[in-house]
Amino acid sequence: MAYPTELLSVVGLWTGWLLMLMIYSYPLYKENVAYRFAEHIFVAIFLAINLVVNFQYLMNTCVTPLLQGNLLMIVPLVLGILIYTMLIPEYRWVSRYPIALLVGAGFGLGMRGVIKPSILDAVVSTITAPSAGTMMNWVNFLYIAVGLLSSILYFLLTYEHIGPLQAPTRLGRLFIMIGLGAYFGNTVLFRFTMLTGRAQFFLQVLKIIPM
Amino acid sequence: MSDQNIFDKLQNIDRRVFYWVLFITLMVPFIYPIGLPVKVVQNTRDLYEGITGDNINPGDIAIMNFGYGVSAWSECAPGFTVCAKALFREGARIVFMGSQYDVELSMNKLMNDAREDFANKVYGVDYVFLGYFTGGESAIAQLATDAWTVYPSDHYVTPDAQIPLMQDFHGWQDVTVVLSSDTGDVGSYFLRQWQGSHGTRLAEIGIAMNGSTDYPYYLAGNYFGLSIGSRGGAELEVLIREPGEATTAMDSINASHLLIVLAVILANVGYLLSRRKA
Repeated sequence: MAYPTELLSVVGLWTGWLLMLMIYSYPLYKENVAYRFAEHIFVAIFLAINLVVNFQYLMNTCVTPLLQGNLLMIVPLVLGILIYTMLIPEYRWVSRYPIALLVGAGFGLGMRGVIKPSILDAVVSTITAPSAGTMMNWVNFLYIAVGLLSSILYFLLTYEHIGPLQAPTRLGRLFIMIGLGAYFGNTVLFRFTMLTGRAQFFLQVLKIIPM
Repeated sequence: MSDQNIFDKLQNIDRRVFYWVLFITLMVPFIYPIGLPVKVVQNTRDLYEGITGDNINPGDIAIMNFGYGVSAWSECAPGFTVCAKALFREGARIVFMGSQYDVELSMNKLMNDAREDFANKVYGVDYVFLGYFTGGESAIAQLATDAWTVYPSDHYVTPDAQIPLMQDFHGWQDVTVVLSSDTGDVGSYFLRQWQGSHGTRLAEIGIAMNGSTDYPYYLAGNYFGLSIGSRGGAELEVLIREPGEATTAMDSINASHLLIVLAVILANVGYLLSRRKA
């Protein structure tokens, strides 16, 4: 991507650069007026775009087909409007019906597809020993097998974790801590990658590195 | 204060110093690249091979879902771009869609980053941009059974009936492969409603944060391939032999990770020493 030459694009680029600096002034310096200004702009623009995009989607998928004669589209439209009755205390109960429908449909759909990929395939994958591959595949297989069993044992709350249960449940706790640590580490590093993108943008706008 | 050792001082250091060091550390490799090699791991190779060669035929329809917004461009966009290029070069037709309200910006970026590939393609015939959808898992399930009800028109409000590509796309049975790139849950919706329910070939171009949760699905064969974060994007750029954004950023990412590892080690050593002293 080349450095923009059109005036509007250049203004947009520098506006983004300035707003980014305003936001970063909070961790790099302290809370200040510039940070708050940029924060408020961000929230306002986010809400405005979200509203417009969702409204357009509603028009395209529901209102336009309804006006073209697809009368069934009145059902989701009415159900959607009913959700707003929660703003009127005496009619709040009405909003429970569309919400119940949403939750029920979501739960049903989730259950329909979850059994094969998240349970059956996962169990088969876990208990199937590698037929080929390197030593590392076997290490992974054993790690997952031992980790899975001991982690499940840790949540066996019917019995006190003493005697023969003590060692495996402690091992299970260790596996859970390793798993959560890895997840947390990935989360932090993901944010750093996002920051990398901003650092690159910072230098690109200043033309220190090519865009 | 005078009896403080180096670890005590490090523990009491102003957090802003660390942020400044981090920000500068991130920038230096962009100005002075190190050029560390990128090793391609099997899950990324499987993703690339799954959308090239014998696994895809000219005319096949692929869905590419933008499940990421502008903020995650550095993580998801490079891998997503390589996959779009690879699919186009195999002659596949692509349906682009997205669950983020700023999906139009991501589509514009893709068209710019892969402009040579898009230049040879005809909108509506070789690819279509359906734009934003809402409704979560219900919408993805409905897309599998009747795509036209989720998207009666494309992003530019052209009715499906007037788009040649949409004549061949009505549901899961018309789609050869789905690639979803997410910061959220849309990939798992495709997993349950497309791969789990209909056996559609599915791959994820995910963020590093979700790597540990996505990987078991790759091992179980639910995802035929998996690209994890910016690193996965750099690996895909190696596979297509076109170094791009992710390859450029890898030095910076490596430097930041190294700094964090160093900080964690120092903090723990300092903590243990001060505890022993107490």
